[in-house]
This record gives sequence, C-alpha cells and structure tokens, in this order.
Amino acid sequence: MPGETQGTPIVEMRGIEKAFGAVQALRSVDLVLYPGEILGLVGDNSAGKSTLMKILTGAYQRDAGEIFVAGQPVHFKSPHESRDVGIEMIYQDFALCGNMDVGQNIFLGRWPLTGPFVNRRKMYAEADRVLKRLKVDVNSVYQKVESLSGGRQQSVAIARAISFEPRVVILDEPTANLSVMATNRLLETMLELKRQGVAQIIISHRLVDIFAVGDRVMVLKRGESAGDRYIRHTDEHEVLEIIVSGTRERALTAEEAMR
Amino acid sequence: MVTAKTTSLGRAPAQLAGGWEVGLLLFLVLLYVGGMSVNPTFFASTEALHALLRDTSRVGIIAVGMTFVIVNKDLDLSVGSVYGLVAVVFARLFAPSFLDLGIAASVLLCLLLGAAIGLLNGVLVTILKAPAFIATLTILFIGRGFVLALTHGQAIYYSDKANEFPLFFHLGETNVLGFNNQILIFAVVAATGAYVLAKTRWGYETFATGGNEQAAVYAGIPTRWVRIRAYLISALCATLAALLSAAQDKGVTPLYGVSWELTVIASVIIGGASILGGRGRVIGSCLGAAVVVLIDKVLREGWPITRIVVIDGENVAVNARFTLPAGAVLVFLGLLLVAAVLVEPYLIRRQVAGRFWAWLRGRPPPPAYEMGGVALEGVQTKGAMAGDLGLETAGFGRFFARRDALAIVLTVLLWLTGLALRPDYWWNLSNTFAILLNYTELALIAVGLTYVIAAGDIDLSVGAVLALAGSTAAYFLKVLGADPLTAVAMGLLAGMVAGLVNATVTVGFKLPAFIATLGMFYIARGLAAWFVAGQQLTGWPESYNLLGRKANDVLLHFGFSLPPGFVRTVAEVVSVQTIWMFFVALAAGIVLAYTPFGLKVLSTGGNLRAAAYAGINTNRVRFLALLLSALCASMAGIINVAYFRSFNPVAGQFRELDAIAAVIIGGGSIFGGYGTMIGSLAGAAAITLVRALLQLNVQGFTMPQHWINVFIGVILIVAVLVDIWVRQANIFGRVRSWRARRGQAVEAKHAG
Repeated sequence: MPGETQGTPIVEMRGIEKAFGAVQALRSVDLVLYPGEILGLVGDNSAGKSTLMKILTGAYQRDAGEIFVAGQPVHFKSPHESRDVGIEMIYQDFALCGNMDVGQNIFLGRWPLTGPFVNRRKMYAEADRVLKRLKVDVNSVYQKVESLSGGRQQSVAIARAISFEPRVVILDEPTANLSVMATNRLLETMLELKRQGVAQIIISHRLVDIFAVGDRVMVLKRGESAGDRYIRHTDEHEVLEIIVSGTRERALTAEEAMR
Repeated sequence: MVTAKTTSLGRAPAQLAGGWEVGLLLFLVLLYVGGMSVNPTFFASTEALHALLRDTSRVGIIAVGMTFVIVNKDLDLSVGSVYGLVAVVFARLFAPSFLDLGIAASVLLCLLLGAAIGLLNGVLVTILKAPAFIATLTILFIGRGFVLALTHGQAIYYSDKANEFPLFFHLGETNVLGFNNQILIFAVVAATGAYVLAKTRWGYETFATGGNEQAAVYAGIPTRWVRIRAYLISALCATLAALLSAAQDKGVTPLYGVSWELTVIASVIIGGASILGGRGRVIGSCLGAAVVVLIDKVLREGWPITRIVVIDGENVAVNARFTLPAGAVLVFLGLLLVAAVLVEPYLIRRQVAGRFWAWLRGRPPPPAYEMGGVALEGVQTKGAMAGDLGLETAGFGRFFARRDALAIVLTVLLWLTGLALRPDYWWNLSNTFAILLNYTELALIAVGLTYVIAAGDIDLSVGAVLALAGSTAAYFLKVLGADPLTAVAMGLLAGMVAGLVNATVTVGFKLPAFIATLGMFYIARGLAAWFVAGQQLTGWPESYNLLGRKANDVLLHFGFSLPPGFVRTVAEVVSVQTIWMFFVALAAGIVLAYTPFGLKVLSTGGNLRAAAYAGINTNRVRFLALLLSALCASMAGIINVAYFRSFNPVAGQFRELDAIAAVIIGGGSIFGGYGTMIGSLAGAAAITLVRALLQLNVQGFTMPQHWINVFIGVILIVAVLVDIWVRQANIFGRVRSWRARRGQAVEAKHAG
C-alpha cells in the first residue's frame, strides 16, 4: 500500500515552472505518482491543476523543471508523445465524436486495418473486449455515441484511454457532468483500473469522490504546492483547510504529516 | 470608512469610428485620385463625385442593416434578391399595365413584403436553427426565381404614372440644393444606425449576442429576438434601397440587385466588421460601401486608351475606352471579399497598424490582446440529440431509421409519379437518357460535396467551379487550338486552383468555409464569363466531345459496331460520362465507408477537437475534402462542355443548390459528421427527378424554369430543416414519448 511501498515512482515532476505572459501559473511544483496509486489533485479555480496536467501530457511546454516517467527523463512536445509512453488524459467533455459508434470512437484515428480498409470485425471485437475489461455496460459497440447517456459516454472515453494500455490515466473533472448513479459506476471503474495496476490522477472539485477511491490527495494553491496527505490519515475538513488557508511555507508532505 | 478614490480611466475607446475608419477614408481619397489619373474625363468632374455618392447611398443603406446581422455572427445573403424582388413587386403593384395601385398602398405592401422576408430569414435561422448562410442563400435563389417569374425576363417602366406622384418620386432625384435626395436619406439612415449600434441597448445586445451567444443567453438577453431583429432591419434596409431605386429609375429590370449581396457583405467586412461576429461599426460599413462602389466604378468605367486602327494601309490613332468585360468586375469583387475577410482577424485584431506605428517611432508595441484560439475557429455546432433509433427498431422501422431512407423513398415515389403523369413518355428511351444525363452531372458534383459536408464544411462554389473548368477547357480548345488532352488537363487545373484557394482560405486562414467558397462562387463564375466574353466558344475537334457522348457513339467513332440487341440498347442509353461518374462514385463511396480516410472525414465533421486529440490531422482532411469537391465539379464542367459541344455561361448555375440539397436529402448533415455515397446518389436522383417532373408537359402545361428554381430552393430548405428537426432532434420521437408520458400520467391519475 502507498506510504509503505515506495519503489520507483511512475511519474515524478520536479520544480515545474510555467508562466503565461506576466502571470506565473506554476511556481516550483513537485508531483510524485506511484504505480497503481490514485492521486486526487485539488485546489481552487486557477490554482494551476489543469496547467500542471497539460504540462505532464505535453499540451503545454514547461518553462523550467524536470519530468521523469518510470525514472527516465522526458520532454513531451505534444500529447501524442506522452501517449506513446503510456500517459492518457480523459477530458472533461470526453472528446468523442457523437456521430460515430462506440467501436469507431474507441479506435478513433487508429482504426485497425486490413490492407487499405478498416477491419471492422477486429475493431468491434477489440472494442468489446476493452469494455468487458472495464466491466462497464454499454448496450452495443454499434451504438452511436450521441445516443448514449453522459455516464456511458464517459465509459467510452475511459475505454478509449485504456485501450492504449496506459500506465497513467489523468481524469479531468470526471464527475462534473454525471448523475449520482453514473458517478458511483465511474468510481467502481477507477478501482477496477487500480486493481490492474494503472496509476490515476483525478482533478476534481468534489472531495467526496476523492475520499471514496483516492490513496493520496495533493493541494495546489495559486500555482504552488500546499502539501499532500494520505487519504487514510486525513479528513475532508483538513483538506478543505489546506485549500482555503494553506501556503507553500507551511506545506507538509504526506510522510511529514503522519509523524 | 474608506472612500473609493476616482482614478482617471483615461479616454474611453471610440464607439462610432476609430483608426480603421480614418484609414478607410484616406484609402478612399487615394482611390479616387487614382481613378482621376486613369480616367480624368469621368472622375475629375463633380458630376462623378455626385454619382458615386448617389450609388453608394443604396449600397450603404443595405450595408447599415447588414452590419447588425454580421455583428450578430449571422449572415444575410438574401439582400440582393430582396432588393430586386421589392423593386419588381413595386413595379407590378404600381405600374398601370399591372395592378395600378396608388403610391401609398404600393409602398406599404412593399414594406410589408420586406418585413415578411426579414422575419422569415430570422425565424429560419433562430427558431428553426438552420445555418444562416444556407437559409439566406436559399431565400436568395427563391427571390431571384420570383423576380424572373414576375417580370418574365422583361423590364417594366412606369415613368408616365410616376409624374403624378412627385412627392415620392422626388426621393430619387436631385433636390433644390443640388444633390440627390438619396444621399440625404443615406446620411439619416447611417447616422441612426451608427447611433443605435454603438450607443443604445439594442446595439449592446447585438455585440453580446455576436461575441458569445451562450453568455448572452445566460445574461438574460433575448438572443433570438436580437437576431430576428437584425434580419428585419437588414431586409427593411434592402426594401428602402429598392424603393429609392424605384423612385430614381421609375422602372425595373430583372437584373436589379444581382450579386449585390457580394457588394454589401464586402463593404461591411472591409468596413472592419468581423465575419466571426461581435465586431463592426456602421460608419466603417458605410465607408466600406463607398470603397467598394468606387472600385466597381473604376473597373466598369475603364480608362481611355489610344487604339491604332489601320485604315486603308494608314495607321490612324483613335480614342477609345478600355473596359473590362462584365465578368472581370465580379472577379475583382469576389477577390476583394476573400481578401477583406482576412483583414479583421489578421490586421485589426493583431493591431498591425498600431504596432507598425510604434515600431516607426521606436516605442514599445501596444499590449497584445489575449488571443483565444477558439475565437478564430469557424462555427461548428452539432445536434447531439438523436435517440437510440437505429437499434431499437426492426424491419421497416429499421429502414426508416437510416439517414438515407428519405432519399431512396423519394426517388422511387418521384419516378412512379412521373410514370403516372405521363405513362406514354416517361418510359421512353430518350427521356430516360435525358434524365440520366442530368443525373450524371449532379451526382458527380454531389460525390465531392459529400466529403466536404461530412467533414463539417460547405462548398458553395461547385456550380461556379464547374463553369470555370468548362470555360477553361473550351477556351483552350477554341481560342488556343489546344489538343483535347491539354484542354482537359487545363480545365482540371483551373478547377483545382479554385479548390486550392477555397481550401487555403478555409483551412490555412481558419475562416468559415461558407465565406471562402462564397468568394469563389463569384470569382469562378466571373472568370468563366471573362473567358467567354466576345467569343463563341464552340466548334472544336469531335474527339474531345466523345467525353459527353453515348457509349454507342464512342464505339462507332472508333469503328466498332455493336450487333442489335440488349447490349446495344444499353450502349445507346448509357453515355461515357455516366460510366465515369459510376466509377468515381464507387471509388469515393468505398473510401468514405471503408477506409481510415473516410472515417477521419466523418470524425473531423463530428467533433473537430476530439479528432485532433486522437491524432487525426484535421486540417489535411478538410483540405483534401475541399480539393476533391473542386475536382469533381471540374470533371462535371469538362463533361458538360463536351456534351453540349459548346460552353454556355450559365452552365452549372444553381447546381450548388441542387448538390447541397442532394447531399442533405441523402442523409448528410449541414453540421457535418454524416453523409454516405449511396445516400447522396439517391438524393441527386431525387433532385433530378423533381426537375424532370417539373419540366414535364402534362396536358399542355409546362412550368416555367424560374418556378422550378423556386421549388428546388424550397426543397433545400425543407431538407435542411428535416435533417435538423427529424433526424437530429428526433422531434417525432420526442412528441411520441411526451404523449406516452402524458398518457401514463392520465392513467395513473385514473387509477389513483
């Protein structure tokens, strides 16, 4: 369990800096993520959560700092490069094509081929396999995505992400557009992924969800790290307090906070 | 208590006019001086200045209304035809040879007509959610059809009766102060418009709606009414301009207002408004109108030259005037439109003038605006509302859930209708051949357009590109005496260059496809008219014409003679172009349905951002789709010329209307993401059959051509609305489920 098993982190970000013009969005932020860990990333609006994740996926370029994936230094210039080393991001609006069916969406842009043609049989079979692995129920892989409910659309988005066999999945506000039922299903899916050894970072405003499945929570405040805590050794009250009044100077790491 | 100190905010930014307007004014003066130097006899007189202002008045009045529409992020392509239609209707109402109504009644009815068209535009665009360019383009074609039908192509004059009503007709004439009353009216309209747009609640609501409609809705602004209002203003301005022209000319010709929408939109865009909405000033639009009218005048007036004429072996200098052929003006105005839409995003928004001025003085550049990447993207809306239709139904229901069901059913029904109306003729070989030929041209265009529409763009220039390719081929054959192969290559090249421009402006400069291809619509047709100017493009080697012949004729040409029988009968009906179209459609259909490229096209049209995240090069996909559309239209043009053995300047006219309607009826969505080749081919068949049916002589009655175009326009708008409301919003399904729910509620009440 995290805290006890350290080993090599799957992702390590050190001293990340990012400025947009005159605005310093991130100031020397560190982040560590271990295999199979679910890390909640919380903070106020404009705390830099999304910026940090976009730097991790390569959507933004960092001004300073280092990123290691499984111990190797990396420098992604685009999200496609981070995907190649196994980092997947699931966007808040799922980024799916509503006019296409579930199978086509899961393999969007990399449809399996035989000769010049799309191998439809293989595509749908693989899609079905991925959905089964996730243990989510989507009626049919032939269904158009726009006819699915929000929760099922998200299942497709997650299935799409894990079909790349990722080591890290980043979920941006995954429960923002979901009903209570769908949220519970999603949390189960996340635990299923965790069992399969996939590390996850979840950006969320809803502490309840993070406390339901998370191992650790990290707080960002105005572009700076305000510390992190193990879920088992903290409560929502403490995390809220850090979000509201935490500072970098008083930030404690999860280990320090346990002592 | 801390009192808030009032700090100086500096001067508030100008609302009525700004640096851009000053620049336009300078440009206008330069242009006028330029006109004077090339053509002093015309431009150096006060008469010319007066004429310029007078002609600017009518364009400017329409531009005032158009500014409201464009700032709303809408577009009104119907103004030219509203202008023409109102002038014609006024003539029909007022002229003694027709209804002979009084002046007050005529004017009132015209105003009502203008308001009705504006309201129709507004309702189509807002409540019925049809894209602005497609709704108003249809109204443009329908209006043109009405103009031709109501005038029968003849001019109507009523100058004698006009003398009885000096009060109204004086509006179009020079007043006691020595200038035309229209200029005065223009000034009043422009001042009112400028004040309303810049200073009043109406104007602020307009800017909010154009800048971010969603935010405006959240802020409680009735955006639908704001947009309908703008269409009303635009149509009423066009009506006013039409009444002024009626007062001035005391008559009307069917050519009134042709391509005026181009002039007006170019004016507004040159005046600094953004085609992407949210920016624009009335004063700028009026100055833009003056610039466009002046350019138009310089081009049309031409310049004096001395021509050396050989008379009896002696060289004699003759004073002549060099004028450009009619098509050339259209070409320049179209180019102006395409260039002008680039002005706002690339010059004004990036403050090029301000930064250059600062650079010259060695000062630091002014702070750049925060440039949202999204702001430059074209409009992409989708209806993600359809239900689980396809999977829940079986049998017939399953067939009707197909997006192309409508087209297939329509084709069968229409063909049976033809059979019922004229059982003696419809079966006929010659009729079948004629229908098949018309079908071939339309289907070929629809093949390319399917890709464009599926990728979420639109190509309004297909008909014009057809004409351009055809005229280029004909020009090379006839004037330059090229061999058929070269002519075909050159025709294709010309069409592809047009497609390249479309694709570059749309994809490279990130402007909406409808505005880029609208520019090309005028440019290509103007170029085609330019090529044909003063020449009879006909009479060239028959080997070229084989492209448009029946298979049997081609075989005969090469010395094959088929034995009589089934094969020969088929060869006598099927022509080369039909076979060619079949293979093109087959290849394009397979690529669209079964290859990654086809799926990339569909995903680009379905959700551009998702496709880009998935690593699809959406720019390349859209670029290629637009090129393919131009290629198909060029092939159709080359075949058209071969079939007719000559080039006719009206070739391909209204074909964009037919082709868009065919693709939409065939299951394409005007918002992108849908489209199948079978559907588009069936849709093309349906449109061809409609045309054939309307041309059918039933018991001595045939419908005039103008009404047919009106009818096709109505079909297009109905098809778009059916797509939006039945296929995507599934309105019938929603009504059914609402009824079912209500039924249950009632039952529950009874049970309880």
